[in-house]
Amino acid sequence: MSALPLWAALPVALLVVLGATLAVLGTWGLAVLPRFYERLHPPALASSWGTGAIVLAVIIATSAGEGRLAIEAIVVGVFVIVTTPVTMMVLTRAALQRDRAEGADVPPAAKADSVQSGSADPL
Amino acid sequence: MIAQNLMLVLVLLPFVGALAAVTQPRGAQRGPAWISGATMAAGLVILAALRGPAGATWPLRASLHWAPSAGLDLAFRLDGFAWLFAALILGIGILVVLYARYYLAPTDSAPRFHALLLAFCGSMLGLVLSANVIILVVFWEMTSLLSFLLIGFRSANVGAREGARMSLIVTAGGGLCLLVAMLILGRITGSYDLDHILAAGAVIRAHPLYPPLLVLFLLGAFTKSAQMPFHFWLPGAMAAPTPVSAYLHSATMVKAGVFLLIRFSPALGGTDAWFWMVTGTGMLTMTLGAVIALFRHDLKGLLAYSTVSHLGLITALAGLGSETAILAAIFHIVNHAVFKASLFMAAGIIDHETGTRDMRRLSGLIHFMPVTGALAIVASAAMAGVPLLNGFISKEMFFAAAADWHNGTWLDNALPLIATVGAAFSVAYSARFIATVFFGPPATDLPHLPHEPVRWMRRPVEALVFICLAIGIAPDAVLGPTLNAAARGVLGPLIPHVSISPWHGLNLPLMMSVIALLAGAAIYFPFARRISEGPEGPPLLWRVRAVRLFEIGLLAVTWKWPRVLHRAAGTDRLQPQILVLVCLALLAGLGVTFGRLSPIGQRAMLAPDLAFVLMWIAGGAAAVGAAALAKYHRFAALMLLGVAGAVTCLTFAWASAPDLAVTQLLVEVVTTVLLLLGLRWLPKRNAEIPGDRLFPARLRRARDLVIAIIAGAATTMAALAVMTRPPGPSIGNWFLRNAHSEAGGLNAVNVILVDFRAFDTFGEITVLGVVGLTVFALLRRFRPADESAGRPAQQTGKAGEIDDLPMLVPSITIRWMFPVLIVFSAWLFMRGHDLPGGGFSAGVTLAIALLAQYLGADTRWIEARITVLPIRWIGVGLLIAGLTGMSAAAFGYPFLSAQARYVELPGIGAVPASTAMAFDLGVYALVVGATVLMLIAIAHQSLRSARQRERAAEEEGEAA
Repeated sequence: MSALPLWAALPVALLVVLGATLAVLGTWGLAVLPRFYERLHPPALASSWGTGAIVLAVIIATSAGEGRLAIEAIVVGVFVIVTTPVTMMVLTRAALQRDRAEGADVPPAAKADSVQSGSADPL
Repeated sequence: MIAQNLMLVLVLLPFVGALAAVTQPRGAQRGPAWISGATMAAGLVILAALRGPAGATWPLRASLHWAPSAGLDLAFRLDGFAWLFAALILGIGILVVLYARYYLAPTDSAPRFHALLLAFCGSMLGLVLSANVIILVVFWEMTSLLSFLLIGFRSANVGAREGARMSLIVTAGGGLCLLVAMLILGRITGSYDLDHILAAGAVIRAHPLYPPLLVLFLLGAFTKSAQMPFHFWLPGAMAAPTPVSAYLHSATMVKAGVFLLIRFSPALGGTDAWFWMVTGTGMLTMTLGAVIALFRHDLKGLLAYSTVSHLGLITALAGLGSETAILAAIFHIVNHAVFKASLFMAAGIIDHETGTRDMRRLSGLIHFMPVTGALAIVASAAMAGVPLLNGFISKEMFFAAAADWHNGTWLDNALPLIATVGAAFSVAYSARFIATVFFGPPATDLPHLPHEPVRWMRRPVEALVFICLAIGIAPDAVLGPTLNAAARGVLGPLIPHVSISPWHGLNLPLMMSVIALLAGAAIYFPFARRISEGPEGPPLLWRVRAVRLFEIGLLAVTWKWPRVLHRAAGTDRLQPQILVLVCLALLAGLGVTFGRLSPIGQRAMLAPDLAFVLMWIAGGAAAVGAAALAKYHRFAALMLLGVAGAVTCLTFAWASAPDLAVTQLLVEVVTTVLLLLGLRWLPKRNAEIPGDRLFPARLRRARDLVIAIIAGAATTMAALAVMTRPPGPSIGNWFLRNAHSEAGGLNAVNVILVDFRAFDTFGEITVLGVVGLTVFALLRRFRPADESAGRPAQQTGKAGEIDDLPMLVPSITIRWMFPVLIVFSAWLFMRGHDLPGGGFSAGVTLAIALLAQYLGADTRWIEARITVLPIRWIGVGLLIAGLTGMSAAAFGYPFLSAQARYVELPGIGAVPASTAMAFDLGVYALVVGATVLMLIAIAHQSLRSARQRERAAEEEGEAA
């Protein structure tokens, strides 16, 4: 593993930086956004391309290092892609129900457009 | 060799018979009785065969290895004494079986009765034949337990239950004393072997531990054979069905005590202490028992106290210990067994045919049942010691032994007098039995009109009375050789042959007999009316009853004192207890280590890794957060607990313990989900606890915080102290070196679990199964608090509109994951041989797969599609593990030795094939069963409340 060839090291480095940046952004967003429904969106950054980039990097690095096509890491990606949206969906439903029970007007009609345009759909 | 094997068969046969009898169909009457009779008959045949050719080589020994490292072998020995006892046990047993066949009501469970009787018979045989004193105590306690079950056979009856409990407490308690005595004996002589101990009499008697040893030993023997002051359980045990009384109180249970006394008298006897305690207790019991018996109105009560009295006589003889006394004791054991069994059976017939056992109501029965009456009269005459009957001869021998000079103390000098008084009362109660029950005007107000019983019910009594007569007329021809062999078995081969004759000439014993007969008649007949009108007990003494004392004591120990203790030391709040526990642990730990152990050892530290430190900060924060939130936000606390668990799991992975990491991860998942399911049933805590912000609460929390910090710091210190020191030589290295070469597996952890330490694992999975069943049993009876019993607010519409499909997407995902998880579980199982994984983690994985299904969908929907029978999984798992272990015996290896090799499968390659794998399969099945059992118990909780709601709705619908 120590002698990773340059042709592999460059894309791996790029992908790792990309994935890590997205993950940090997602986490930061989760921390700073004020409302629950807004906070639902940033983690998608981490779970979509954040994970994807890291998985790709792992595949390239392992394949180059061991000289075979090592695609096991895809399973990690699959699990993250399956579980995160499902969790988000259940959380949203629960939040909606609670808010409606308390008489709040959700989802807020006025803000709906601006939020939707700024984030990826979890599914 | 044949003889040895026959002897083992003799002991094991009744247990096999018991198994066969108990598996008979419920309600069967004939089958169990035949099994029981045939088993005992086979035992008698074996016994006869052993008597023939092997007679010269007694004692005959045979043993099975059991736990040789602890000096425990299933060793048996047969000498004349044991042979005689075994013959009594089986012979009377067969008659009791015949009698019980006609005595038991159709509502009584005959399979259970005969199974218990056979098991009891087997325990008695084991007791008299065992050659290892510890095994002897084991059989001794088995007889206590089985007699408990037999006495309480008609468990719907309060008297039966109480009598059974009393006899169990007294005899099993005595058995514990006996166990300690045997352990001391083993310590003194260095062996638990009976022959060895019997040969070491001089050493034992000279040892400083002899007095406590003797007291404990005698406590065991006296409780069993109902000597004063432990006699009270025996009359209480009369609530048993009559065949049980006839068996337990004539030939078996109570004779175990005197068997022990006689058996050990050469080793423990011969001292003044022995003489005073044994003869004194025996004489007291004999006299008082006879006096009390005279005043009992209940037929079986009279017989019970008469048994107590006769046991006292035998005990007194054992205390005297001379050759003639021992011979007389053995002889009287036989005689008493014969006449008392027949009398109990006759009393049972009377009870059966008239409906009462009260002697004040019974009268003139000789007119209704002449044959039974005649038989009973002969038997009670034998009990009274009338000449030409067996009781007479052994009583003569007792008088002779009592009149002999022993040690010249006042007790010795008074022996003939006490013996005569006791015998006189014995004559008196026998006379009362005969006179009130069979003679006088025919009774008119009996519950049933009495008549002769069915022929076969009387046969056993006839046989026994015939033996009474035969022994009484020709004792030497009938029993001479057997008795002499028995005495040789006790006292050694060198004692002279004694010939027994019914007539010894005009001598002192005969005089004593005549005086006793006349005095007995003089005691009873003048006072007959006053006795039957008086209270149930001798004048003055009837107010003092040992059984009352026992009951008062029992009430105090099991009811009053625990409550006092509970009030004083118990608390309804658990917090103070935890506080005390933590503080005590802290003090103990500090007391041991303070000033002696530096927290930092010499081992070089690793450089801190930033990622690891960050991970731990996150984990620690989660743990603290969980503690902080646990009060008002249980759900959040549980999630944080999960985070802390995940960090622990990552730590294991980091520190190269993948097995632990896998197990930790899976267990973490299961516990979190089960806790989540359980949260649903806790009452809500929305409002603040009153007074939670006041000063006392704050003070309490501050105190707890200080204690928590100190305890945490101390634990950290301890961990640090251990981790900063080089590990000593550990067995781990051996395991690592030998895992592959010895057990054929590369995964040392799994090899330890299923091979090197398989026996531990076997124990652990058994415990796991028990825990699963216990949780299931507890949860079945669990009823949630009212406020959380209804539907959750989300389902009733109280919390906003009802979400129809809240779990649609997750449940589909979970359903898709099911096959994946099953494959994952199979993969974990297979790779466990060489890589992290194994039966336990695979089992937990499959349990998680099922658990997830219950989470994702309706319980009913799931159970309509998959039926999991967790209890069978548990049972099958245990069976597989156990059978795998036993299969090693087929190759001549000890339990759980594993065989391992790789097998080449076409298309797949080398596959590990090891018997350890089969064992692991057992672990796997058991883990799945136990986990799913708990899950189902919780899941059915909601099912139950749903069903209740449906029922309520239905009723409402009907009402409308």
